[in-house]
Amino acid sequence: MSSFILRRLWQMIPTMLGVVLLVFFLFSFVGGDPAYLLAGKISNKEQIENIRTQLGINQPYYVQLWIFIKQILTGDFGVSWATNEPVSHIIATRIGPSLTVLIPIMIIEAVLAVLVALGVAYVRGSLTDRAIMVICTVAMSVSLLVYIIIVGQYVLAYQFGWFPVQGWGESFSENLFHYSLLPILLGVAVGIAPNTRLYRTFILDEINQDYVRTARAKGLSEHKVMLKHVLRNALIPIITNLMIYLPSLLIGHFLIERFFSIPGIGREVILAVERSDFPVIKAITVYVAAATMLSNLAADLLYKAVDPRVQLK
Amino acid sequence: MAVSPMYLRRAGISGITALAAIFGFASFEVLAAPDMNKVVRMAIDAQDAGFDPVLSSNLYSGTVLEAVGESLLTYDYMARPSKLVPQVAEAMPTVEDEGLTYTFKIRKGVYFAPDAVFNGKKRELVAEDFVYSYKRFLDPVWRSQWKFLFDGKIVGLNEWAAQGEKSGRVDYAARIEGLQAVDKYTLRIKLKKPDYNFMYVFAMPATVPVVREAVEKYGTDIGAHIIGTNAYMLKQYDRGRRILLEANPYYRGTPWNFSASDEPEDAAIVASMKGKTIPQVGRVEINIIEEEQSKFLAFANGQLDYVYRIGNIAESWREGKGLKPDLVARGITRLDSIDAETTFYFLNFRDPITGGYTKEKVALRRAMLMAYNMEVEAATVRRSQAIVNQMAIPRGVIGYKANFRSVNQFNPEAANKLLDKFGYKRGADGWRTQPDGGALEITLNSEPTQVSGEYDKLWSKSLEKIGIHLIVKKGTFAENQKAAHQCQLQMWGSAWAADYPDGENFLMLAYGPNSMQSNNGCYDSPIYNKLYEAALKLPDSPKRNKLYELMVRQMDYDGVWKFGVSRIRSSLLHPGVLGYKKHPVLLAEWKYMDVDLAKRNAIAVKKDKP
Repeated sequence: MSSFILRRLWQMIPTMLGVVLLVFFLFSFVGGDPAYLLAGKISNKEQIENIRTQLGINQPYYVQLWIFIKQILTGDFGVSWATNEPVSHIIATRIGPSLTVLIPIMIIEAVLAVLVALGVAYVRGSLTDRAIMVICTVAMSVSLLVYIIIVGQYVLAYQFGWFPVQGWGESFSENLFHYSLLPILLGVAVGIAPNTRLYRTFILDEINQDYVRTARAKGLSEHKVMLKHVLRNALIPIITNLMIYLPSLLIGHFLIERFFSIPGIGREVILAVERSDFPVIKAITVYVAAATMLSNLAADLLYKAVDPRVQLK
Repeated sequence: MAVSPMYLRRAGISGITALAAIFGFASFEVLAAPDMNKVVRMAIDAQDAGFDPVLSSNLYSGTVLEAVGESLLTYDYMARPSKLVPQVAEAMPTVEDEGLTYTFKIRKGVYFAPDAVFNGKKRELVAEDFVYSYKRFLDPVWRSQWKFLFDGKIVGLNEWAAQGEKSGRVDYAARIEGLQAVDKYTLRIKLKKPDYNFMYVFAMPATVPVVREAVEKYGTDIGAHIIGTNAYMLKQYDRGRRILLEANPYYRGTPWNFSASDEPEDAAIVASMKGKTIPQVGRVEINIIEEEQSKFLAFANGQLDYVYRIGNIAESWREGKGLKPDLVARGITRLDSIDAETTFYFLNFRDPITGGYTKEKVALRRAMLMAYNMEVEAATVRRSQAIVNQMAIPRGVIGYKANFRSVNQFNPEAANKLLDKFGYKRGADGWRTQPDGGALEITLNSEPTQVSGEYDKLWSKSLEKIGIHLIVKKGTFAENQKAAHQCQLQMWGSAWAADYPDGENFLMLAYGPNSMQSNNGCYDSPIYNKLYEAALKLPDSPKRNKLYELMVRQMDYDGVWKFGVSRIRSSLLHPGVLGYKKHPVLLAEWKYMDVDLAKRNAIAVKKDKP
């Protein structure tokens, strides 16, 4: 296993290089020119040139690329071009609030989606199954998230007073158990839909397998068949899906953060793109790319743990 | 015997009062310290960009800077139209040499708020602080967004910066002829040529002095450690979430002594505040709440004391010109103010289709402007939270003329006739062609936001009625800004907020030599340029303001801008919030406010306390 892990880690280097090149050239050619934004309302050509010189964006591309690579190697992405705040500080202070909301959403959503999917797969073709699938399809619309947030915030927080309307406190417990409850509830309410559909499909694939028929023929209870045999075999694609989702935690959830005034990384990402704040974009992209590769590796290791037949080569 | 008004805080106050009484110091002013239990909680709708005065032109950075720092001059809080008054200057400057030399006497005994950089000692504000701070605008290291305020204006300043650029580092110790601390409390500025609007620069938040020791200690992070002499100091800066200001213990305190203007709410404001000491409020809590619904609900819930910029959800709180009955029943009041700003759409004068000064080009531009109904934009997209401007200078700004009417009023019939007359023929498909037979398609640049989409649709429908095909090209604001700066956009909507309340601040946007700087349409009319240059040589006077009017009329005739709107900003206030009034130019009103704690505590905090 250790040689497998080492090999995979080694393979990450060219992948990361590809990501670096892609991000660099995408931003350099279509990312906008931050000099015009940084120059303010009134500026002249010399001022723009001076800003470009200071930011280093008028240097040859190979020099800029080398600086980028050095930043990755040292982990020091400098300061935000827009605010002069160190990028490491931006990420360190904004990632916590995002994770406070998104990790519970991911866990609750995964557990609930698996349970609901198991349930509807068991009663497949019934009215309940079809009704839940229709609801899930509607809920998959992105715009619905906006409506759910708006209505949820107005009704549950303002009208009923069950939750705070918005805000963020000083302590972790206050944030998790007070300010994050409604965002988590709404995030789960919307996010559960696509996963339920997906997991139902995975489970249905397994239910129709011969080994399930054999298990039933052997007289195993439905409970055992579903939880011990079907679910275990459906876990591999479910783990894949969860691991794909994992790196996205690093880019936060823009809408939820915006509506509930959560000082998370999602708002920073959008701001950085709007401001062409390359140091922030570079850092977050590199972290997300690294996290994606690591979570893929973790997924492979989990496959082995879940299914002993899987060979790590 | 008069003693300068200083803060006599807490325990010391009563003893000194008694002494003053015993020794008969009749004019001794005992100024009460701000009550630290009084907190103003409000929200801003976007993140600031730090508080380095030279670095950021962000609205909210400026707001906090204004509360923390003190420029030489400021505006009278209540006077309308806006009136300049001294702040840390003892008096208005003496202006000599036919407007070329400004001399400011700085108040003695003005101290910066405490900070670790001072090692526990009190640090007095001196003239040299202004010299240092103003030099930073030209120091290339700081890439100042406000460089234009001083660029090319002060004798020797640009040469000083050029010298520094050559050697790789500017020398702050070097003497500059036009920017000198004559003595500890005297600042002298010499201009290269008269500039009658230069006085306004000294009232801008960007020109608050910074402490050299702090800049040297904090470096590029000075924006998170700003130290000023004003009523508040930066207590906690939680970027992206909250900014906490606390009363500056070294602030000298001044009496609230403003007079009511003729605006209806003024009498009550003056009655509630007159004679009190500035500031009354001990702490200011600035929350970042980007969504208007979240902001309004937080206010309605009692989490905020007042709320501002909620026009996009006006239907949630507005009823006619007032408020919904449930809000009125809770004692909430509404105050409207109109920003000293204007929106506008410009057309590119260097573009092969929209540009040029020949009659048919002028006709095309004017027909396009006449096809668009700004009243509809104000009523629909802007939800009646805007007033339509007839000229480039908005109300509240010197040079505004209430009875001025644009010649390009909404009139699609006249627009069609104009196009017919100048050879823009309609084809079989209904779309017009250029007089030379070439295709007539106009590209409007816009941003990928929902509200921009609504403006795009209005323009598209409007131009369709006169047979002009509109193509909407979406791009980020940064992309559009860059292209506009290079005169590459055929048409783009923009807005300009007054840096200072003089029409020149708006009219410079159409001055030819400002092309590729601030004149994004690259309009370059010899007549207009001449009028502009003549106006610059005159002080505020009917003669100069007549020139402003002629310039706007020339813009009108040439079809330079579709004059837009000024936004109505409604503020909603809970009972107990006193002294609040939006100033057209000032950004931070907290030091002029008070909180009636009894009324404030009686507010039903509906569900949640922050």
